[in-house]
Amino acid sequence: MKTKIIYALLFVPFLIFAQERTISGKVTSSDGEPIPSVNVLIKNTSKGVVTDFDGNFSIAANQNDVLVFSYIGMKPKEIVVGLSDIINVKLEDSAESLEEVVVVGYGTVQKRDLTGSITSIKADDLAKQPALTAAQSLQGKASGVQIISSGAPGSTPVVRIRGIGTILGGRNPIYVVDGIITERIDNINSDDIVSMDILKDASSLAIYGSRAANGVIMVTTKSGKEGKIKVEASSYYGIKTVLSKVNMADASSYSNYSNIAFKYNRFSADPQYNTDWFDEITRTGSVMNHNISISGGTEKMAAFFSANYYEEEGILIGNDYRRMNLRNKVDYTISPKLKFGHNISLSLNRAIPKPYSAFTNAYKQSPLVPVRYTDGAYIGRWGVPFDDLGHQYNNVGNPVSQLELSNELTKNLVIQGNINAEYKIIDKLKFNTSFAIESGYGKSYAFNNALEAWLAVDPSRQVSAYPSEIPTTTFTQTKDEFYHWVYDAFLTYDDTFGENHNFKIVLGTTTEKGQKDKFKITMDNVPVNSDLFSLQNGDKGTEVLDYNDTKLDPEITLRSYFARVSYDFDHKYLITATIRRDGSSVFANKNKNWGNFPSVGLGWVLSKESFLENSTFINNLKLRASWGQLGNQNIPLNTLTFNSNLGYPLGSDQSINQGSTITTIIDKDVSWEETEEFDFGIEFAFLNNRLSGEIDYYNRLNNNAILPISLPNPFGTSEKTLTHAGEVRNKGFEFALNWKDKINENFNYSIGGNLTTNKNELEKITNQFAFEQQGGLIDNGAWTKKLSVGQPVGSFYLLEVLGMDENGDLIYNDRNNDNAITDDDRKFFGSYQPDLYYGVNIGFTYKNWDFNADGYGNAGSKVYNGKKAQRFGGENIEQSVASNIFSASNAENQNPAPSNEVPLSSTYFLESGDFFRINNISVGYTFPKIIDGIQKLRIYALAQNPIIFKSFSGFTPELPGDGDPTKTSGIELDAYPSVSSYLFGININF
Amino acid sequence: MKTTKNIVLISLTLLAFLSCNDNEFLDVSPSAETPEQALSNPNAATELVNAVYNKLLDWNESSFSWIGVSSITSDDADKGSDPGDTGGDKNLLDDLNFSGTTISFNEVWEANYQGIARANQALKFLPDLEIDEALKTRLIGESKFLRALYYFRLARMFGGVPLIKGVPSIENQDDINVANTRATKEEVYSFIIMDLEDAAASLPTHYGAANLGRATKGAALTMLAKVHMYLGTTADWQKVKDLTTEVMGLGYSLTPDYSHIWREIGENNEESIFEIQARGETPNKGVQGYFVCQGARGAGGWGWGFNTPTQDLANAYEANDTRRDATIIFRGETLWDGLLVANTVSNPMYNQKAYVSKTEETFNGNDWDSNKNIRILRYAEVLLMNAEAAIKVGGDAATPLNAVRHRAGLGDAPVVDLMAVWKERRLELAFEHDRYFDLVRQGRAGVVLRAHGKNFVDGKHELFPIPQAQIDLSKGLLTQNPGY
Repeated sequence: MKTKIIYALLFVPFLIFAQERTISGKVTSSDGEPIPSVNVLIKNTSKGVVTDFDGNFSIAANQNDVLVFSYIGMKPKEIVVGLSDIINVKLEDSAESLEEVVVVGYGTVQKRDLTGSITSIKADDLAKQPALTAAQSLQGKASGVQIISSGAPGSTPVVRIRGIGTILGGRNPIYVVDGIITERIDNINSDDIVSMDILKDASSLAIYGSRAANGVIMVTTKSGKEGKIKVEASSYYGIKTVLSKVNMADASSYSNYSNIAFKYNRFSADPQYNTDWFDEITRTGSVMNHNISISGGTEKMAAFFSANYYEEEGILIGNDYRRMNLRNKVDYTISPKLKFGHNISLSLNRAIPKPYSAFTNAYKQSPLVPVRYTDGAYIGRWGVPFDDLGHQYNNVGNPVSQLELSNELTKNLVIQGNINAEYKIIDKLKFNTSFAIESGYGKSYAFNNALEAWLAVDPSRQVSAYPSEIPTTTFTQTKDEFYHWVYDAFLTYDDTFGENHNFKIVLGTTTEKGQKDKFKITMDNVPVNSDLFSLQNGDKGTEVLDYNDTKLDPEITLRSYFARVSYDFDHKYLITATIRRDGSSVFANKNKNWGNFPSVGLGWVLSKESFLENSTFINNLKLRASWGQLGNQNIPLNTLTFNSNLGYPLGSDQSINQGSTITTIIDKDVSWEETEEFDFGIEFAFLNNRLSGEIDYYNRLNNNAILPISLPNPFGTSEKTLTHAGEVRNKGFEFALNWKDKINENFNYSIGGNLTTNKNELEKITNQFAFEQQGGLIDNGAWTKKLSVGQPVGSFYLLEVLGMDENGDLIYNDRNNDNAITDDDRKFFGSYQPDLYYGVNIGFTYKNWDFNADGYGNAGSKVYNGKKAQRFGGENIEQSVASNIFSASNAENQNPAPSNEVPLSSTYFLESGDFFRINNISVGYTFPKIIDGIQKLRIYALAQNPIIFKSFSGFTPELPGDGDPTKTSGIELDAYPSVSSYLFGININF
Repeated sequence: MKTTKNIVLISLTLLAFLSCNDNEFLDVSPSAETPEQALSNPNAATELVNAVYNKLLDWNESSFSWIGVSSITSDDADKGSDPGDTGGDKNLLDDLNFSGTTISFNEVWEANYQGIARANQALKFLPDLEIDEALKTRLIGESKFLRALYYFRLARMFGGVPLIKGVPSIENQDDINVANTRATKEEVYSFIIMDLEDAAASLPTHYGAANLGRATKGAALTMLAKVHMYLGTTADWQKVKDLTTEVMGLGYSLTPDYSHIWREIGENNEESIFEIQARGETPNKGVQGYFVCQGARGAGGWGWGFNTPTQDLANAYEANDTRRDATIIFRGETLWDGLLVANTVSNPMYNQKAYVSKTEETFNGNDWDSNKNIRILRYAEVLLMNAEAAIKVGGDAATPLNAVRHRAGLGDAPVVDLMAVWKERRLELAFEHDRYFDLVRQGRAGVVLRAHGKNFVDGKHELFPIPQAQIDLSKGLLTQNPGY
């Protein structure tokens, strides 16, 4: 300092304008938070300082100097020193998406250097659609990602990335949470998530090899940051209602319809009861979420803690769900070379399930049936309500007593934890390692009060008449457990040669092991008091193990090696090559349990070429192409085992003598399904980055899909044999487009949208015993789907309705002209899989107000009205069917003549599944800083799914079923209706 | 720099340490018994054979479809149940209006081959297992008896069928060809006879209390007699005569009260030669659905109401024939256990041989796995076969025939001829899954069934159609029976 002053004094006469003085100030973010560790540099010198913990700095500079403020993730700012001694700087988040960092497998990469197709969704976007599981919040936000949601409390939506490529294999993507592979996301608090990066093409996915064929979603959770302690609290509360009800026939319409169908006046035209069964089983639901997080850190240590509580009362009476989550994450910088961290999360939930078949029963039960007898007891339970003459109305139970008598509870605990370390061996080479373990414990019980159900059938029944041989209650307890651990170790080498040759090499290995275990026991005569719901209170000796649900799955072990080499020249010409070699214990043939999964991606950033570099219109233009091979090791169990449940009663006491033998024939060579994919993409940003987007074409082929084959029966197997027997292709385009602009300081707005087309097809069947599997069973003996070459997986295969004859009966197309309507007359009518799906969003902020709206829709899908088709006779019908019925005098009417026949599976029940739904509309207000200590206070109101445009007459066109395309997905049967939520919420940051 | 090098080395070693034992790591132990483990169990041999018996309890083997094919097709039984409830295809079976796509045929075809496959598994492993030789011989005999039973069911229904003599392999094209090609009826029958002759030679006449219910020498001989009866040449009839005579010397006798035969108190009694064992208490193990699918339907009922006696059958009994009331449940009657059959049940008659009393017999609420033993072979049939053979090849037909009649509360047969024996077979063995095959064997199925109003086509309905699904699966290699 002394020398400086001397120099200054010496030069005063000559350099009056170059006089150095101390400039100080504070650097804050756009929301007013101080930023520590910002580099403050005098331009064109090496002189610089960094800001302290509170964002303060001071630096000696001349009046003409230019100060450069820079910080990762922020736009650098240059300020001429000028005359003031105090310079406060506000840094803005780096808006340029090109500098965005994307999480890829075993590392990160700058978006501009990507050669694959990855969609990144940030926390802000996820927060716009609050949901129990973050996967739901992705709906409509990413091209190529189809989210089929169910409104049921605690449900996880079905996630499909670039179509369904498999029939029997696992169809779900895997999640990589903070680098750790897992199959679940419903245990993660959405508020903990910083970003979700969806890896879509083979070039990005191949690093996950045999796990990756269904896509990978990288989830990054929040970490503590150097700086002051931050406390963030948020809450919302809301109600839930049914989005679209189905208008059922009232009692007099039902009587009229049924009397025509029965061909005599069975029911009075002026019925005594008029029960609205749907109203009887539903209520206004509610949802509540509270979240708090505390984070902060010093140079050496940063920590993050969060706690979350979520509670939902479903619209179905009694159906509840609650979840509590905790997370604690700490990162230590032990030395400049060594970092260490640990992260643990705990998720505890409790659910009261109720049978969703109650929705179907409410749809079908006759309005003539009252909920209760006059003495207050429930009428019937399983299809036994009788009319005055002692005849059954129909085969439908009383949905109200069904809910009341259903007594189930499930509880789950999932713990995930990891420890990780990073060591910088030399500047350009670092070593990362982590060990993660997850473990889950679930238990559930189901209590069946057989006595109460028996009494419900008939009010005249007395307890004393209850058949003594039937237990009065049965109690079923289930427990399941799993563990899974992953050990990763990899080296990353990052270097630049010459001016512009950038290399990055990742080389590593990962090891996994996991196992699942469950058992299920049923016992008789456990007391009705729920405090005594325990196996110890049942009748000794009545316990029966459920052999199908009691099992220890084989351990699954995986050993993998992976490498990725990325090279770019001046961020202009890009190439990435990866390979993963996977060994898996899943496959029986020890010579076929290792596989290699290579990929390569190329990129050309045209906008960096000299002819475009100075374009004011084009800010970014990149072409991409990639190819790779992926695996799906999540195949059905395929081991030859002894079936040991084949005992036979022998001896004078007919005691069960154990019996066991081999009842299956397996293909020992079954291995993973292999998917090969090409992807071509364009990324662009125009008009000062206001308009940006991406277009991709993808074409992926699962060239050895596993299918069941039916061996000739003389082989004597009781189960289908599985083998590689088919080829399934998915191809389509993805479009994403965003427009973002600022009208003035007070008004920002953005409009975005994305659209994905997909064509799914079973292209080939390659095994002589593969057969055209029927599917889509609707439980009354009817089937609706068939797996066939040239058709999408899960295609509807139905009789075609041509019209009505003079009696008002449906006329079916007798396609083979044999004068009989048989299954041979069926044909294909499309599938539940949409031709395209899309999302749109619009948002603006004006001063302290923010507004946002999202929409989601699909087109080209078909849905089957299974609940309507599942008639045995005597069920209720929709008002539109009952009130506009065929009669000889009015043949113009569109509805067939009333009938109580079991309907044939036909296009009469097939409807368009197209819809457009407003996913959410929200309005928020951020209060100006009024109280010291409160950094931010925002309140908002949000409507989820308030409006839907659809032509389907049922409760919802979003029908994931269990996700299996060949079963009930796309069929409305026991489906949970779409639900609207109206939320009010508050966010406070301290 | 030296330390740096070391650290690089350490890291790479860490990466590499895992690789040295890759295949060991991937070689996980199975969590369910493998064939090797299962076979090392000292009881493995017996368990393999128990599993062959177990197939007899399955829904597709002995229950709904078999009832439809063997009983509803005949003049003894109607489809029953409510008019609108077809039971899948039981209306088609009742009307003899079926085809290769009628699902019941596929079910029984599949089921019997599953039984044969289990017998083949046992016969594959048994010779190599180190167990007591006497036990081994017996177990092989039991397996062969059961394999013959399953093949006999197939041969009576379909004629010649693919003849699988061992455990086929999916990789072996010869095995696939055999599975897709029908052997001749003669080949199938001679294979059955070989199995039964082996079984008769190796099975004991009696078992101790612990093994009651296993196939005996008597069962094998009776079965063999029955098979010869179906072949029907004079030489075969002589065999029937000899074999039944041999069985008659084994100590069986008729139960005094016919109505006890199909009740719990009649299980494995002095008349029983072979029956399917069923257990109606926890842990239940019964013939799946056999009881409930034939139970009375409607308000006051206890089942689905299929396979109901025809009026023709009810009318066929002579006055005072105790078998009529023991075979048929009449709407409105009070059953032996005091149950009043409500007048609200859907059909006028039901099959009493499928009835389980919920109050007077073992019953724990599980009507799917009920205690009902199904009688496959019993002494009365031996007597009737003996009588029929005596008429064919000479001998005393009256004594055995009248023994059966006397037990039913009737006097001597006024005339002893084939018609008399056939009539007695019908009434004695009603609802015991023989009537249709009996009529075909007797060569009068067309006459009787057409008179009963069924559209029996000669040259066609003597055999049932090979399931079309199986023909499709064989790419047409399996040939269809004539007329379908």
